[in-house]
Amino acid sequence: MSADASDLSLVRRVQRGDKGAFDALVLKYQHKLVKLVMRYVRNPAEAEDIAQEAFIKAYRALPQFRGDSAFYTWLYRIAINTAKNAVVSRDRSPVEYDLDRNNNDESYDMQGRMKDSETPEGLVLTDEIRSTVNAAIDALPEDLRTAIVLRELEGLSYEEIAAAMECPVGTVRSRIFRAREAIDRRLREVFEGGLGRAEELG
Amino acid sequence: MNEELDSQLSAMFDDELPPAECELLARRLSRDEPLKARWGRYAIVGAVIRAERGVRLNAPLAGRVNAVLRAEPALAGHTAPRDLRHGRLRWWQPLAGAALAGSVAAVSILWLRAQTPGEAPLTAHLAPPAALSAAPAAAAAQGDSYIVPVPKQPGVTVPSTELANYVVAHSMFSPPVARRNLLSAFMTSEPATAGTEEPQADVKGIAQ
Repeated sequence: MSADASDLSLVRRVQRGDKGAFDALVLKYQHKLVKLVMRYVRNPAEAEDIAQEAFIKAYRALPQFRGDSAFYTWLYRIAINTAKNAVVSRDRSPVEYDLDRNNNDESYDMQGRMKDSETPEGLVLTDEIRSTVNAAIDALPEDLRTAIVLRELEGLSYEEIAAAMECPVGTVRSRIFRAREAIDRRLREVFEGGLGRAEELG
Repeated sequence: MNEELDSQLSAMFDDELPPAECELLARRLSRDEPLKARWGRYAIVGAVIRAERGVRLNAPLAGRVNAVLRAEPALAGHTAPRDLRHGRLRWWQPLAGAALAGSVAAVSILWLRAQTPGEAPLTAHLAPPAALSAAPAAAAAQGDSYIVPVPKQPGVTVPSTELANYVVAHSMFSPPVARRNLLSAFMTSEPATAGTEEPQADVKGIAQ
């Protein structure tokens, strides 16, 4: 399987004038990009602004993208440069991201939230999404959960997962799809039935 | 929702869909809003599994980017074809290479000259070989002559007796028949070798 074929097919569509394909790229990478930018600025709202700027710069520079590297690698460089420039222009020293920080560090979470300009309703929705997805993952059968976690957390390819789980690649693809479907069913309820903020995803 | 389509969408999200299918699905994905929303939720699931803390999962980032880009012109027609762009750049590359090589050579020559100040050019050190210079001088001293001068030092020859001794001394390395043939060949060649001295006298006699 050719790596990055999916992104490349979307990129080619954008280069031919299809803006809708760029939406798909933004949806796919927005969380990763915000997370990346937060190594330089801790405030999530500011990180989102920088990520937005990076996406717009990427869109404008897309005619020059030749596909020599993966799209995300290229986007990553743009985001890093945008974040550094933003930090310099605001005369702030970059915040080093502590890779050793425990993910359960509540003080960090609270600090981040206190600078957050989002409404309490938004914070509740983020928590709701997170707990729903985690509950759905916990409810998955073992083989489905292992497959989706190896893919999303470890970043393994289907072939590597097939080797790890000792099953055909087609089975891996099916397991990951079924896991996503099960999680997505629960997630849709949050967006459509719960707080009614589904439109903000698009 | 078509299950096969969703399965393809999941595989495409993971970059595990064949390129031809990606092309078709990318076209649909860019136009089908429910499919795009599902794609967005797949990204959220990944963000939660990776425990990307501090990232707002309901952030309207995609909508904001979309709103800004709506005012932008589409990229169609802006894409510079790769070959054309490279074609424009390529013509000067051989010239630049040649210029660079020339300048490196020139700098090297200048540097070598700077390293040996006051010395004569390198060619001055090359004296002609004695044999080459001596022969015309001798010919000039003797006046016109059609006689080829005999070399003062004849070629080095190994006497046949020494070769025969060598073969006998190393006889364990050769079969008896071959050894005998060699020894008889040395013996028969001995007079001819000795006779090579004779023509010198003949030449001298003719010259005189």
